Order: sequence, then C-alpha cells, then structure tokens
Amino acid sequence: MSTELALLLLRAASALILLTFLAALFMLLWREYRSTSRYVEANRRTYGHLLVIEEIDSKTIFTGERYPLLTLTTLGRASTNTIMVDDSFASNEHAAIMMRDGQWWLEDRHSRNGTTINGTRLEEPVIITDGDIIGIGHKRFRLELQ
Amino acid sequence: MATERTTLTKFSTKAIPNDTIERGLLLAAGLFIFVNLLSLWLQRSPQVLSHWFPIVIWSICAIVGHELLRRYLPNRDPMIFPLVMLMTGWGVVLIDRLAPAFADRQTIWLAVATGALLIVAVLPYPLRWLRMYRYLLLIAGLTLLIGTIILGQNPSGLLGAPRLWLGFRSLFFQPSEALKIILVAFLASYLGEEYPSLRRTSTGLYENPILSPRIAGPTLMMWGLAMATLIWQRDLGTAAIFFLIFLTLIYLASGYTLLLVGGIVLSAIATLVAYNLFDVVQLRVDVWLNPWPEADGRAFQIVQSLMAFASGGIFGQGIGQGSPTFIPVVHSDFVFAAIAEEWGLFGVITVIAMLAMLVMRGMRIGTRRQEQPFMALFAVGLSMLIAIQSLLIMAGVLRLLPLTGVTLPYFSYGGSSLLMSFVTAGLLLRLSVE
Repeated sequence: MSTELALLLLRAASALILLTFLAALFMLLWREYRSTSRYVEANRRTYGHLLVIEEIDSKTIFTGERYPLLTLTTLGRASTNTIMVDDSFASNEHAAIMMRDGQWWLEDRHSRNGTTINGTRLEEPVIITDGDIIGIGHKRFRLELQ
Repeated sequence: MATERTTLTKFSTKAIPNDTIERGLLLAAGLFIFVNLLSLWLQRSPQVLSHWFPIVIWSICAIVGHELLRRYLPNRDPMIFPLVMLMTGWGVVLIDRLAPAFADRQTIWLAVATGALLIVAVLPYPLRWLRMYRYLLLIAGLTLLIGTIILGQNPSGLLGAPRLWLGFRSLFFQPSEALKIILVAFLASYLGEEYPSLRRTSTGLYENPILSPRIAGPTLMMWGLAMATLIWQRDLGTAAIFFLIFLTLIYLASGYTLLLVGGIVLSAIATLVAYNLFDVVQLRVDVWLNPWPEADGRAFQIVQSLMAFASGGIFGQGIGQGSPTFIPVVHSDFVFAAIAEEWGLFGVITVIAMLAMLVMRGMRIGTRRQEQPFMALFAVGLSMLIAIQSLLIMAGVLRLLPLTGVTLPYFSYGGSSLLMSFVTAGLLLRLSVE
C-alpha cells in the first residue's frame, strides 16, 4: 500500500518537474522575445536614403547618386516619380517605398519586369531594412537608414 | 533616442545570466531523472548499485559539461545543453526500464558522447576542418558507406537483418550516422561558396538557373546517393533523411520553389520504384495503409505501438507500470511509444516541445549568422537533421507516415546515433558563439 502511494507521488512529481521545465523554457523564450522587440524598438530608424550602386564582376561600386526617402517615394521611368529610374527595363510607375507603422515598406506597382529585393523577386509588399538591395531593371539601390 | 538607449541597457542588466539559466535547467533535468529512477528502484528488487550507475555518470557529465562550457563559451546558447542532457537522461532511464541489459552500455556511450560534444564545442578546429576538408571528408564518408555495403554486419547476428554496422569485436558503429553530419557540412560549405552566384540577378533579369549544372548536378548526385543507400542497404530512413536534408538546404540557399516541386516528384518516383522492387518498402507501406488485418503478423509492431499510445492516456501509467515491452525492439525505434504509455500525453507533448525548442534554437543561430552563408546553412542544416529524423520516427510510430527505421535523436538506444546527435549539439553550441 505504502509503495503504491509512493509510486503515485513520484509519478506526480515527475509530471510536475516536466511541466516546470517546459514552463521555464517558455518563460525564457518570452523574456528573450521581449528584449529583442525592445531592441528593435530602440533601433527603429525613420530617416533613410537610397544609394545607387553598380555591380561589376561581383564588386560593388557606389556611383555617388543619393536620394533621400520621403514617406512615400515612387520609383519609375516617368518624370513624375520621386526617383526617376533611367533604365530600359523599368516601367513608368515601377515601385514605391513608403513609411507605415514605423517600418519602411517596398511595393511593386505592377511593373512589367518586376522589382527584386536582395535578388529575390518581389511578390507582395515587404518590410525593408538597412543594407537591403532593391533592383529595378539593371539598376541597384542600397537602402541606408539612420 | 537617448532615453530609449538607457532603458535598453537597464533591461539588459536585468536579464538572467546564461550560466544561471543553464544550471537551473540542468538541476530540473537531474531531479526528473532521479525521481524516475527512484520510482523504478521501488518496483524492483533493490540492487542498489546497478541502478545508481546511470544517474552518477549523468550527473558527472552534466557538471563537467556545464563547467567547461561556462569557462570556454560564456556567450553560448544556454538552452541547448540542458535540453540535450534532459532528453538523453530520460532516454537512459527508459532503456534501463525497457531493456536493463543495455542500460550500462548506453550510459558509457553517454559519457563518450558528452566528451565529443565538449571537444567539438570548445575547440575551434572541428568546425574549421569540416569546412576546409569537405571533399576529403565526403570521400572518407562515402568510402565508409561502401565499406559498410561490402563488410557490413548486424550486431544481432540475425540472417536477413539489414547490415548497417561496421564492427570490431564487440564494438559496433553505424557509418551512416556520421555520414549525415559530413553531408550537411559538405552541402553547407559547397552552397555557401556558390551562394553569391545562386543569388545573383545582376546579369539577366530572371534567367532560370534551375537547369544549370550547378544545381542540377548535386541534386541528381544526392538523389543517386539516396537511392544507392536504399537499394544496397535497404535503409529507408537514412535514404529519406539524406534526400530531405539536401532539398531543404538547396532550397534555403537558392530560394527556388520549383526545386521543392521537383524534389517531391523525384521522391515520388523513388517511392514507387522502391515499392515495386523491395519487400521491405512494400511491407512498410501496406502495414501503414491498413495494419488491422495482420495485427498478429506483419503489423504486430505498429499495432502494439498504437495500443501503447491508447493505454497511456493523458497522464500515463507511470514508469515501470505500463507494458510497452510488448512492442518488439521498443528500446530503439519505438521509445516514443514507450514514453506515450508511461508518461502519457504530458510526456509526449514535452518530448515534442523539447525537440522543437532545440530545432528552433538552431534555426535562430542560423538567422543570426546570415552574413556568413556557411555558418547559417550549417546551423539550419543541423537543426533540420534533428527535425526531419524526429518527425519521421514520431510520425512512423503513430502511423501518420510509413515506418522508417530511424532512431529518435537523444532518446533511442544506440551508441552511434547518440554520439552523432551530441556532435550535432556541440556544433550548434560552437556556431552560437563563432
């Protein structure tokens, strides 16, 4: 009888320890998530500009052109755009970069040849960060945030 | 901005130090193992010494490991080591309960494996060598594989059992376990170097590089390797792991969705061919589709496993109080069923959560190393290795997938598997600080 009781207690104890272990893990993850989100919050940057870069033989060269970003910056071949992209593969209204909820977003405006972000074709609007490379036609822009 | 910075530093000083986290988690793990061994001891005739051997060795491993990691890797990921130790400790307890004759052997392997983990984690060389001598290592690995095909044995000595081991006297090692890690290292290093050209878009707009030999070559080679393992070794699980790992890594490196579709088509072809050619595969698939008519015969193992899950219920029967030993070879492939019977739903959820947590930590290490493609791909590849293997066997035991005879990492009985799982964890620890 007493052995049975002891076994029951040990079973309960083992289940309890397992749950404690799991709870501790989740608590740690939660803390980590919070500290990361605070870090991101503290490093949120609301000013930025685009640098034009050229890639020749896998070397990156800055051409010196530099465009500050507005809360809505449009890119394309037409002269009505904030940034005029002089490239035969660019559409008239090609892409847009905008500030929304403290984040910079890149959106393709149904251009014929598409917009790339770090070499991947854009399918839907994405959040972009410092150092991302935006491609329109043969042109490459690097995003720099302050 | 200034105020935000100060709150940030204030917060980070409040964060719990790594060593405290690791120590706390290890203590909980030790307590869990102790409680279960105590319960086991109460049910058996008190042969005290043999039962304390596992926990003594486990504690020594945990303490030495913690101290060394604390000294040499102060910025390591604090969750990996305790997770690994709890899972292995639990595994040793299970083996002691299911197949007491094997418990001491597994405990000795635990000590060896912890040593390997520490060597890999503390010294910078193993990681460097894996990257620099990738062709040499791959050739060595393939030689071992071919050696196993020719000279392979099975420790049980049964005729017709798959011969996947290289043996010397009473020591057996399964080369395909080591080959998994070598393969991940090779692919990470190869794809890491090809990374810029895989990702390049500056030349054309959207050329389709999927057919270029750069990708198609290794894909077909890997598929061939997986098929060779399948044909000559009848090792369904390892073949599946090889191919899935490879697909994941190349998909990660290149980002072509079409590749996944192609991979699925290739595996479907492989499955169909294997189903028609090999009795083993046919048996596994038939039993998976409908085990009930043959519950006494060919499907005995899987049916007993399902019974174990059913009788476990939510809280389980308690260690030593269920009857998971009805399942043949429960201590290697079917430990998950034994856990389900004796620890119930709670135990199963904990196992899945721990494995998921380990994989997640590995993925996180990968995302933090994105500027170095080799490190990122290696970390993700190693975590995927654990993830795929665990999913294959857990789903197999539950009859969600056809059964593939792989071990459940860290839990199952098996020296080579344990050793290589520990090396994986050691490499992840190393990658978390590099």
